[in-house]
Amino acid sequence: MSVKVNRRKFLKMLGWGGAGTALTGCDLPTTVTLEEGKEEVVSYLMPEEYAIPGIGVWYASTCTQCEAGCGLHGRVREGRVLKVEGNPDSPVNHGKSCMMGQSTVQAHYNPDRITSPMMRKGSTLQAVSWDEAMSALTSKIGPDSGVKGDRVGMVTGTVSGHQAVIIDELLAQVGSKNHYVHEVINTSVWSSVCRDMLGDEMPKLNFDKAGVILSFGADFLGTWISPVHNMGEYAKFRKGARGSLIQVEPKMTLTGGNADLWVPAKPGTEGALALGIANFILERGWNAVDVPSSVGKSLSQYTLTAVEKVTGVPVSKIKRIASMLTERGPSLVIAGASTENHENGYDAVASVMLLNLVMGNIGKTIEASAKFPEKALRAKQGNTKDLLLLAKALKDNKLDVLFTYNTNPAFTAPAVLQVSESLSGVGFKVAFSMFPDETTLQADLVLPIHSGMEDWGTHVPAYQPDTSSVLSLQQPLMEPIHKETRGFGDIMLSLLKLRNKDFGKFADYYSYLQTAVANMPADVTSNVEGASKDIWTNMLQKGIVKAKVSTNDLSPKLVDMKFKVKQDNSGYPMHLVPSARLGLWDGRHANIPWLQEFPDQIAKVVWGSWAELHPKKAAELGVKNGDYVRVTSASGSIETQVYIHKGIHPDAVSVPLGQGHDEFGRYAKGRGVNPLKILNPLMERRTGELATHATRVKVTNAHRHEKLVHLGGSESQVGRKFVKTISVDQLRRTEGEA
Amino acid sequence: MSFKNILENFSYYRRDAEDGGHHDYDHRFGMTIDLDICTGCNSCSTACYAENNLAVVGKERFEKGQAMHWMRVERYWDNIEGDYAEEGAKFLPMLCQNCGAATCEPVCPVAATYHTPDGLNAQVYNRCIGSRYCSNNCPFRVRYFNFWSYYEDSWPEPLNMQLNPDLTVRDKGVMEKCTFCVQRIRTAKDKAQREERVMADGDVVTACAQACPTGAIVFGDTMDPGSRVSKLWEKHQIHRGPFLQKKDKTNEEIRGYRIFDELSVDPSIMYLERVRDTEV
Repeated sequence: MSVKVNRRKFLKMLGWGGAGTALTGCDLPTTVTLEEGKEEVVSYLMPEEYAIPGIGVWYASTCTQCEAGCGLHGRVREGRVLKVEGNPDSPVNHGKSCMMGQSTVQAHYNPDRITSPMMRKGSTLQAVSWDEAMSALTSKIGPDSGVKGDRVGMVTGTVSGHQAVIIDELLAQVGSKNHYVHEVINTSVWSSVCRDMLGDEMPKLNFDKAGVILSFGADFLGTWISPVHNMGEYAKFRKGARGSLIQVEPKMTLTGGNADLWVPAKPGTEGALALGIANFILERGWNAVDVPSSVGKSLSQYTLTAVEKVTGVPVSKIKRIASMLTERGPSLVIAGASTENHENGYDAVASVMLLNLVMGNIGKTIEASAKFPEKALRAKQGNTKDLLLLAKALKDNKLDVLFTYNTNPAFTAPAVLQVSESLSGVGFKVAFSMFPDETTLQADLVLPIHSGMEDWGTHVPAYQPDTSSVLSLQQPLMEPIHKETRGFGDIMLSLLKLRNKDFGKFADYYSYLQTAVANMPADVTSNVEGASKDIWTNMLQKGIVKAKVSTNDLSPKLVDMKFKVKQDNSGYPMHLVPSARLGLWDGRHANIPWLQEFPDQIAKVVWGSWAELHPKKAAELGVKNGDYVRVTSASGSIETQVYIHKGIHPDAVSVPLGQGHDEFGRYAKGRGVNPLKILNPLMERRTGELATHATRVKVTNAHRHEKLVHLGGSESQVGRKFVKTISVDQLRRTEGEA
Repeated sequence: MSFKNILENFSYYRRDAEDGGHHDYDHRFGMTIDLDICTGCNSCSTACYAENNLAVVGKERFEKGQAMHWMRVERYWDNIEGDYAEEGAKFLPMLCQNCGAATCEPVCPVAATYHTPDGLNAQVYNRCIGSRYCSNNCPFRVRYFNFWSYYEDSWPEPLNMQLNPDLTVRDKGVMEKCTFCVQRIRTAKDKAQREERVMADGDVVTACAQACPTGAIVFGDTMDPGSRVSKLWEKHQIHRGPFLQKKDKTNEEIRGYRIFDELSVDPSIMYLERVRDTEV
C-alpha cells in the first residue's frame, strides 16, 4: 500500500507524534519494554530503575574529608551525585555537615584529578596502562621481586576499618613494620595524656553537661577531634543551662571567636596557667576531689603573681577563671594544638588534665568511650612523630619501596627535615592518589584512585561520641567518572593476591568487604537495628552499624610532671603559630575552589595566605593591613600580607596552614605560603611529636603593599546593631533558664 | 483598578500590612537565625553554593566585590576597649531577607523582581535587564550581579557535573540572590499535592538550615501558627508588618529582632541576640 504523504499530512503526523512523545516523556515514566519489541525507542529518559529523571535519590555513605567519620547522604540524580548532606542516623554528626563535608563533591568532580596511571620514565611521569603499572608493581614488590620486608614502607593519613586491615595484611605479607601514619592536625599529645592519666586514649567528652568549658587552645568547633559533632554538643551547651566558654590561646580560633572570655596567654606557658588555677583552687579548698598533699606541695610555687609573671594573664583573671570553674560546675577542661605542640606539650596537657581531676570532672563531663569491639578495625590515628621517623628513615636511606596514600609529607614536612629531597633516594615510590600533589609528583609510579564518592570502605571514627560504638560504611554514590581510576582496596587486594592465595576468592574489594563485614564478631553483627535484615543490607541502607559495648569507668591517676617554660634568647622574639582552620585543613583541600573562595572564619581573607599580628606589634613594625612582612625562623623565611586584629597575643604571629603549594592543581598551585616549611625540628619531649608551635621567629617589614582581599567592607558595625549581644543576666530575666 | 472596584472591595484593599496588604499569600516563608549558637563556621554558605549553582569568581573578582555568596558570614570586631578581643568575634550570617515590603521591588524597571504568593522576593532571570537598581536599593547588600559569564570558567569539566539541574546557571547581565531555596519549596509543594495534603512544617528545609551544625537556622512558614518559626516569632514578639515594632515594655530584652527594622521593609528573617557571659 502506498500512501502519498504531502507536506501538510507530514506535519500533521509529526504533530500527533510529537504530542504523544511529549505525553510519554514527562510525568511518570512510560515503560516501553523488550516484550513489545520496541527496545530501540527506550531513551535515557528511563535508564534504570534507580535513576528516575528529575527525582533525586539519597544514598548513605561516609565523609572522607577529615578523620571524624561523619555519615553522609548523597543526592544522586540521573546517575551523578549532586550534593551531600549529613546522615541523620549517624551519631557522629546527626545529619549535619561542615564546609569540608559539603565540598566533598568538588574533590570528586575536581578538574585536576589524575585520570590514568603514570610511570616515571627518565625525569618525567608518563601515562601508562594499568597492565604496565601493575607489572611494574609486581616486579618491584611481588613475591619474586626479592624485596626486603624491612625496606618497604607505607605512609598514610589516619586509617581505620577494613582499609587499615588490608594495609596491615599487605605489610605483614611483605614482612614490613614500617607503617607511618601522619597527620599534621592531630591530638596525639592529648591522647597520650588521656591514656596515661585516664586509661582511655579518646575519652568521650560531654560538652552538653558542662556548665563551664575551659579550653586551652582546643579549637573544638573548628579542627579538634570531631568538629561537627562538637558543634552539635556546643549548641546544647549554650541552650540548656547556658554554659560559659573560656578559651586560652595565643591566636583566636573559631572556638575562641565564640568564647565568652578569650584569654591570650604567652605562647608555651599554658601549662603554668593551668597549674596556677589548680593551685588557687586547692589553696581555697574548692576542689571537689581530694588530691595527695604532695600534689598541693608541688603546685605551691605557682602562686598567682608568679603565674601572672610567666603567662601574662592578670591575677584577677586567674582568680575569676578559678571561681567560675567552681561555681558554674560541672566543668570540662580540654587542651588542643596551641598547648600540645610545644616542647613541654605533654606536661602542659597533663596540667590541664589535673584540673579535671581536681574538679571531679572524670565520670561527669569526661567518660570512658565506647571502643569498637574488633580491635583491628579501630582507627590508627595520624601524628607527627611518624613524620619525624619517616624523615629519619629516608635520610638514612632505609627504604627501597615507599607507598603513599592519603597524605602529603612532601608538603607538610618542615623544609629542614628534607623529606622532599631525600625521597629521591627511595628506589621505588608508589603513590595512591587522586591529585597531582607534591608527594605524588615525586613518585615513580602513580596509581589514580577512586574518589570518596566512588569507592567502598568502612570507617571507625577514632572519637566515638555515643554509648554504643559506630562503624560507618562508605559506598559509591555513582559510577567512577574517569575510566582509568581504581579503588584503593582493589589495588591492595590485587597486591595481596600475589602473595596470599586466601585472597584469591575475592573478585574485588567489594566482595572482600561484604564477607569481612558479615564475619565481624557477634557483638557487632547481632546488634543490628531492624532484625529482619542482614548486617550488610542494613549498612547499605543506614550507612552505619552500631555495636553495643560495655565500658569501664575511667580510673584517673596522676602522672609525674615537670612543667617548664623554655627561655629563649636566640634573637627570635616572636612565636610562630601555624594555625589550622576548618576549610583548607592542613592544605589537603586547597584544590577545592569553594574552600578557596570561602573566607577564613576569623580573618575573612580569601584565596591566599596572611600573617596575623596584634595592633601593638603592627605599630612597632610600621605595617598596616595588606603590607607584606617577612617571617624568619632559624630554618627559613616566608613573606606574606598582614592582617591586624586584637585576637592574637602581641608576641605571636599566626600564619594559617593550607596554602603554599608548589603543585596540586590549578586552584592550589603557587598561592600563598606554607608556615610548616619554616618550622624548626623541635620535638615534644615526652611523646616525640613535632612541636609545631614551638618555633621562634622574627618579623620584619618587607616594605611592599597589596590590597588584602577579604570579605566585608567594615570591620565593625559602626554603632549599628546587626549582631546584638546581651548578657546572661539579661537572658535569665527575660527567657528564664532554658 | 476602577474606582468602583476599590469601593466594592474597600476592606480588601485597606488591609493592614500584617495581613499581607494587597497580597493574597498562600505562605509567607521566614527564618530565624540564633546568633547565640551560630559559630560562624561557614557551613551554611557552602551548602548554599552546592545547592544553588553559585559561581566561584576567583581572587581578582572577589577583590572587586563580585563574589556571588548569596549567604555570607560577616565577622565584626566591636566593643574592644582593652588590648584584646576578649568577647570573641561577632558573626552574622547575611542573606536576602525576603522583605515583605522590599525596597528592591518597586525600583525594577521591568518587574523582574516581584513578590510571590509564597511571600518570597523572587527574581525572574529572563526578565532581568541588569539595571542593578534593585541592588542599589537593597539596604542589606545581598543582591549579586553577574558581571561576567561565570559558566565559562567557574565549572571546568567535570566540575559542571555537580550543577543542580533544578535551577539555572545564570549568565552575564543578570541579578541574582537568595531564593529561600525556591526549588526545594516547589518540590515540597508538589509532593504535598501528590499526597493530597497541605504542606506541613518541616517539609521544606533550606540548604543552609539543613547543613547548620548547631541548628541555629530555623526555616518555615510564618503564616502557619503551628510552625517552629511562627512559635519563635511569637515568643520573641516579632510580627509581620513593615514598621518598627513595639515590644512589650516589661520584656524589652527579649532576644528577637530584625535587622534594619527601622527602615520598615518587613524582613522575613528574625535574628536572636547573641548571649555572652559578661561576668567572666
